[in-house]
Amino acid sequence: MSKRIGTLVLALAMVFGFGTMAGAAPDDTIVIGSGAEAVGLDPRLETDVPSFERINVIMEPLVTFDVDMQLVERLATDWEFSDDGMTLTFWLREGVVFHDGEPFTAEDVKYTFEWVLDEENAAPNRALYADIGEIEIENDYLIHFHLDNPNSFLLNNMARMPVVPAHHGDREDFRENPVGTGPYAFVDWTRDDVMNLEAFNEYWGGEPIHPYVQFRAIPEGSTRLLAFEAGEIDMYQGGVVPQELPRLEDDPNIAVERTPGTGYNYLGFNTQSGPLAEKEVRQALSRVINREGIVERVLNGIGEPGLNPIPPDLPWFTDEVHDLSYDIDAAREMLEDAGVFGEDITLRLYTNENPERIRIAEILQFEAARVGIDIEVTIEEWGAYLSRIQDTDDYDIFILGWVGQLDPDRAMYRQFHTDGPNNYTFFSNEELDELLELGRTLDPESEESMETYKKAQQIVVENAPYGFINYSEEVLLYHPNIEGITVHPYGANSWQDVHLINKN
Amino acid sequence: MFKYIIRRILQLIPVIIGISIVVFMIVHLAPGDPILMMLGEDATPEDYARLQRIYGFDRPVHEQYLRWAGNALQGDLGVSIRQGAPVSYLIVSRLPATIELAFISVLLGVILGIPLGVIAAIKRETPIDFFSMVVALLGVSMPGFWIALVLLTYIALHVGWIPMFGRGGSVFYGLWQLITTFDGTELYDGLRYIMLPAVSIGTAMMAIITRLTRSSLLEVMGKDYIRTARAKGLGERVVVFKHGLRNALLPVVTIVGIQFGAMLGGAVITETVFAWPGAGRLIVNAIQQRDFPIVQGGVLMMALIFTIVNLLVDLSYAILNPRIRYD
Repeated sequence: MSKRIGTLVLALAMVFGFGTMAGAAPDDTIVIGSGAEAVGLDPRLETDVPSFERINVIMEPLVTFDVDMQLVERLATDWEFSDDGMTLTFWLREGVVFHDGEPFTAEDVKYTFEWVLDEENAAPNRALYADIGEIEIENDYLIHFHLDNPNSFLLNNMARMPVVPAHHGDREDFRENPVGTGPYAFVDWTRDDVMNLEAFNEYWGGEPIHPYVQFRAIPEGSTRLLAFEAGEIDMYQGGVVPQELPRLEDDPNIAVERTPGTGYNYLGFNTQSGPLAEKEVRQALSRVINREGIVERVLNGIGEPGLNPIPPDLPWFTDEVHDLSYDIDAAREMLEDAGVFGEDITLRLYTNENPERIRIAEILQFEAARVGIDIEVTIEEWGAYLSRIQDTDDYDIFILGWVGQLDPDRAMYRQFHTDGPNNYTFFSNEELDELLELGRTLDPESEESMETYKKAQQIVVENAPYGFINYSEEVLLYHPNIEGITVHPYGANSWQDVHLINKN
Repeated sequence: MFKYIIRRILQLIPVIIGISIVVFMIVHLAPGDPILMMLGEDATPEDYARLQRIYGFDRPVHEQYLRWAGNALQGDLGVSIRQGAPVSYLIVSRLPATIELAFISVLLGVILGIPLGVIAAIKRETPIDFFSMVVALLGVSMPGFWIALVLLTYIALHVGWIPMFGRGGSVFYGLWQLITTFDGTELYDGLRYIMLPAVSIGTAMMAIITRLTRSSLLEVMGKDYIRTARAKGLGERVVVFKHGLRNALLPVVTIVGIQFGAMLGGAVITETVFAWPGAGRLIVNAIQQRDFPIVQGGVLMMALIFTIVNLLVDLSYAILNPRIRYD
């Protein structure tokens, strides 16, 4: 008996003792961590950042945003709006092939956008492309988009739609087994665990440096960080545990890169009912948001205090807006002037289970009490919360965030236009509506466009349908043996240049 | 016995129908909407209405239920809204990981818990008993996710061959390979990955089993038939293991069975911490995304497995205690 146990122990010791050391990521593979698994890999159907993190390595759009948030060529080498702004023409890159060897042509572009526009198909973001009327192919590498309505910012939306090969797009399993023109081709995928890609050696941008790329989905923030520190993943962007950031920045074995992001968090005020129907009350409430304190204490310095709906790095941004910065005394005065100070004001604030938002709600509750406003906080599960905000008007205040605010139209039209689809504050201002409609018809680089959106920002800030809390910031973690990676302000595009990354 | 099994299986039918109705109603009546979840904050009313129609959510709930239930009867659990893949495929592809983790955790709990409980009972009120009970108390008091994080921070981070997350090879298949081809690499790979998740779930399991075995064995050891056995002059070992433990195991088997069944759907937190690609995570993600077909199909399958495990537990009583007969 004891002899047998001895043999077993010896065998186990051999198995565990002399097994390969496979903890660290293999040298020929770049292992990318991700906070969530992709929903799917069909750009026509997905709406979430984790899906696009992966899609943007396998497939490519006509144009894309580089790390400076400039539109740069990808599958299109040039593009041009007609003088009346009603036709958008693309010159396509020649000699590009899909992973199956078939050439990329204008047919694929036409197929992709016509599929999205077809109302019988389940493309969730059809509205982003709804201004496209007819798509006309002049030859294999020249294509015109004729628009029904002028839309200067259509290009930015098209930068989010990689081209689907027409000869694969109707395949039923395309979502799990995509084909594209990107630097890495899809190999296999175990959901909620690992996705394997291999270098596409005929990539038009040159052979990728590393033969393999692997995406690992690790939902738990602390596990992801530990896996990164143990070297099991090479890098990840987004979802860094804020409290750990100071320690990571001091660690010489870890590289941390940060850049302003493309989104912001805000308080939405119901502008149609209750005390918040008064502009002055909204302004006063905006002045009790302790923005510096929230960024410093709740977000551990990730992000910066919010000011208006446009991220500071965009050219349309202006800081010449009505001053609604944190000032308790000023807020009290404003309430006194409005004649509501001292009245029993109770406001219902809703947020989802996001721990940072819950802490922000608590801070706001405390600060608002100092000016005599009582805030009741209700925390709801995300799905129920989203239904409340989008389907009802049963709230006074809610906390939400926007991501991917890549241009002023996307940052303002849907949110603040009277007919905007995401106008959850029910805000309505005739002058603003006109400005936002005008903005769509102007050349985005013109002085007139800058002026128009500057005025629009001033109207939004002064009327305070939103109380801006903070601008987001993107954080990238990687090991110093990796070269050629830069943090991208737009998380979905983080790895689009992964073929240029070198790991020593 | 055979008749009993048939009767039990027939009893399953109303249970499963009941569960399917309840699950269907809960997911459809609770706040939250799959189309809104899909569209996120970018939703426009036009896209919303169009997608509702495409996915059939604009129809009355009872009509939706009947259509779903009719398909389910023919083995078609529908297609995931978010992932586009058949629900039965999604669940079946996740089950091996979940069953394996549940099995190994339970195994750990049983092979550690029962001996510890027996020793504690035999050496009652000695330091050994005291030690076992402290270990068991610690085990039940520490939440699984906390043990998981402790294991990650203090073991996985420092031991190169223990991975932080994910799943390697299959342990069952690896064992088969070892037996048939003497190739242990697959088994080694599977064990490396499953070790920490299994320990973090198995600890609580072990603690519960230890406590239960101890108290149950103590109770049995006070019975008349044990005195008779001793009076017959049987050795203490035979008395404890053949007459005592066998009878004391009845409640333990019940708990192990229930826990094993619950773990098939309930190890979600541990699955999340270790990024283990199991069925629990699939269903919880689906609940968050309001992916109704996965939730409905997943809960239905879990319920089915749970009831079958329960049936097996009931049948095992007859083996442990010959006085129990099923007719």
